Amino acid sequence: MKKIQDAKKRYEDVEIPSELKGVVEQSILKAKQKSKKNGSFKQWGIGVAAAATLFVASVNVSPALAHSLATVPVLGSIVQVITIQEITFDEETYNANLKTPNVVGLENKELENMLNEKYTAENEVLYEQFQSEMKEMEEAGGGGHLGVDSHYEVITDTDDILSISRYEVNTVGSSSTTMRTDTIDKKNEILITLPSLFKNDGYVEAISTYIKEDMIKQMAADEDLVYWVGEEADFESFEAIRADQTFSITADHKLTISFDKYEVAPGYMGVLTFEIPTEVIAPYLTSDYYIK
Amino acid sequence: MTKNEKYELVENYIVENQHVHYRLAYSYVKNKENALDIIQESILKALKSVEQLEEIQFMKTWIYRIIINTSLDFIKKHGRMQVMEEDALHSFLPEQRDETKNLDLYDALDELGEPYKTIVVLRYFEDLKIEDIAEIQKENANTIKTRLYAGLRKLRVNMEEKVEV
Repeated sequence: MKKIQDAKKRYEDVEIPSELKGVVEQSILKAKQKSKKNGSFKQWGIGVAAAATLFVASVNVSPALAHSLATVPVLGSIVQVITIQEITFDEETYNANLKTPNVVGLENKELENMLNEKYTAENEVLYEQFQSEMKEMEEAGGGGHLGVDSHYEVITDTDDILSISRYEVNTVGSSSTTMRTDTIDKKNEILITLPSLFKNDGYVEAISTYIKEDMIKQMAADEDLVYWVGEEADFESFEAIRADQTFSITADHKLTISFDKYEVAPGYMGVLTFEIPTEVIAPYLTSDYYIK
Repeated sequence: MTKNEKYELVENYIVENQHVHYRLAYSYVKNKENALDIIQESILKALKSVEQLEEIQFMKTWIYRIIINTSLDFIKKHGRMQVMEEDALHSFLPEQRDETKNLDLYDALDELGEPYKTIVVLRYFEDLKIEDIAEIQKENANTIKTRLYAGLRKLRVNMEEKVEV
């Protein structure tokens, strides 16, 4: 048994590198960022009731908003996106800048309200989080940088389609960005979801396979690009899109699929969007009405 | 216990036992950079799947399992670079009669193969109980016992052969 004792000693004598502590801390932080992202994702849509109250309240307190709503009937069926509420908070190392979009002009008020309430609720949740995190940071002695920024962008606005992306940027040291997009059929006044474009679930695999191949192709062509895909991936390799992955439809009727910062690649790659060639998904499309 | 409390326990455990975990990972790859990579990947995996840890008393064996699987995956993908380099080097050098080196059980373990190596490491270096090893390997205790003895036998044979050469 002496040999085992000697071997055990060698096992125990392995030098602990000074980097270990940092690697452990970094990994824990990274794991949290990932799970926080998933966590906040689940929060989308909660607090709708609270938001509805807020929405009413802001109509009451904001003459500009009341005005913009009042003009809706005059504008008739012109569907457009306006900024209804902007919260800015700027104090030394704490910054918040939240812009809430509002869709106006839809005949389908149920859809319009659903969207607008959701947008208001999202920013409400963000602002509350910001305030509680700020408080935590202050109690911990302050000094840290904390930022939250939400803004939106009209991605597509044609006669048929309106697509709005909301970006949420959280900064605590490094920043994380999430993006959610709503795409509306303006003519029929319905909200388009990703599954609704397809006959069956086959699209998930078709799109995922295409994106994986495209990632590998892009990485081969440009060594500065890094996606977490395949056996060499630093983290969990990208396997498949979610059935409700963020998507949009371009003005020339192509489908695009997006990923949040850190979702499938290192942070410096940012929010990523892939345009999916229509032939890849053609067999699964319900019709060629939206995607051509 | 809430999900957050569990997450915190696991997180603290990872921080407190980082040296133990590093040594375990190192025993597979025998190189600092790769061992650090394994630690990083194992932590991400563990914290991501905290929900899968149903009972907190299995935390230790659960984390060991993650590190072991990550290490074995790593070796499968990349080979054991350090050791291969050494082997290549030896074939270029004149035959050495370094008896003590040949007799070293620590090195001989790498040639033992899985699951024997892992079982020997856990039993004798990490001083784990047979039941804990069984939990890590998802086998019953008798199987582990049989494999441990088989592993020790193989180890003895391998080392005796080396002495004769």
